[in-house]
Amino acid sequence: MYGLGILKGMWVTLTHFIDSYVEDIKWLGRNRYYSKEGIQHRRSKDTKGIFTVQYPEEKLPVPEEFRFVPFLVYDVDEEGNKHDRCTSCGICAKVCPPQCIWIVRTEDPVTKRPVPEPVDFFIDVDICMNCGYCAEYCPFDAIKMDHDYEMASFDRHAEHIFNKEKLSKPASYYAGIRPTNYNREETLKAEEAAKKAAAAAAKAAAAAAKPADGAAAGSTPAQ
Amino acid sequence: MTETNPTVNSAGYEVPPELRQNVAITTLDKIWNMGRRYSVWPMMFGLACCAIEMICTAASRYDLARFGMEVMRPSPRQSDLMIVSGTVTKKMIPQIVRLYNQMPEPKYVLAMGACASGGGPFKEGYNVVSGVDQYVPVDVYVPGCPPTPQALLHGLMKLQEKIDSESITQVRWYGKEDIPAIPVPLLGPDLIDPRDNELIKQETSKKPAAPAAAPAAPAPAAEAAS
Repeated sequence: MYGLGILKGMWVTLTHFIDSYVEDIKWLGRNRYYSKEGIQHRRSKDTKGIFTVQYPEEKLPVPEEFRFVPFLVYDVDEEGNKHDRCTSCGICAKVCPPQCIWIVRTEDPVTKRPVPEPVDFFIDVDICMNCGYCAEYCPFDAIKMDHDYEMASFDRHAEHIFNKEKLSKPASYYAGIRPTNYNREETLKAEEAAKKAAAAAAKAAAAAAKPADGAAAGSTPAQ
Repeated sequence: MTETNPTVNSAGYEVPPELRQNVAITTLDKIWNMGRRYSVWPMMFGLACCAIEMICTAASRYDLARFGMEVMRPSPRQSDLMIVSGTVTKKMIPQIVRLYNQMPEPKYVLAMGACASGGGPFKEGYNVVSGVDQYVPVDVYVPGCPPTPQALLHGLMKLQEKIDSESITQVRWYGKEDIPAIPVPLLGPDLIDPRDNELIKQETSKKPAAPAAAPAAPAPAAEAAS
């Protein structure tokens, strides 16, 4: 019969329309919109009725491994001084496929030796393709992918070339957005430090034991 | 009404408290811009993977209709906003510029994603325009590769902010002088003309002339030495 398909389609639309009211009545007293619980329900597969994300007021929670433009991690010591984890080794700039990272290195004016912390660090976020290679390759866990995607602006050259000041974020922020990764890295670091400390202690013990063995045995490693 | 819409009803005049529920004072700019900001019609065209995200933004989950932008127009004559969603190749830029010229004023351009804003991973490629802003004036840049639907919505809200900041007396499209159209860029000539294929074949299959010259070259040198 002609027109049956149209009627079926309109029936589906009608049920959706009715569902949107039924669902709101079911959730009466609880917050279906603008709440964590509501958003979790609306993004699940068995939701009915309205499932639009009311964006500026509520945001869809991003997964932990969501990656947008990278940021630099700095540590804060007890006195409140910031220490960049970045040592300006330039591995991130090398592996970056679209080549959007550039680092300004510096050297000590007195000793003429390179200073590990970069003077400035630029990322052109309008070129960045959010691949995460920089974060993957960084041996110091100094550059990580951010979760903040709200960075639209009117001027690309004035606002979208992020400098070090704009990129730097504390390690606590990183721990907040990626707790699993942060904890794994911290435990690894602690293990490494413990191993190093143990090795140093063993060395010290050996050095202390050697003079007791005799002068001839002690002089051998010195040669 | 007075409290619900602060953007419109804040003209800088004091309204007596007893009239607050009945009187609304605004400026022409504000009411004009409110009408424009909630009826931005984007042009319906997509260039690359960013277009998928744009489609998702327009669909029911993120729902552009909440911003009055749901009418994607397939014709430039009826659209206000051009969302350049994706990689702009050199072959595509003449059409983009032509579409931009065909849009009626006021018109806006939103560069969506890394490729449209600055060329992205193809910024030094042989066939990609590194940033659509080299040809058409871009109002809002949205970074991301591709931007999530929410990032695009944020860009569109930025555009609304921009529309809010405009004044009827100052915008260029209500001025007296004519706004010249942007010249449509032309693709250069082909490096190789296929009609010359035979000639090229002949030229390349010739024996190189260099070995013939090589024995002749040392002779003067030898003479000079002797």
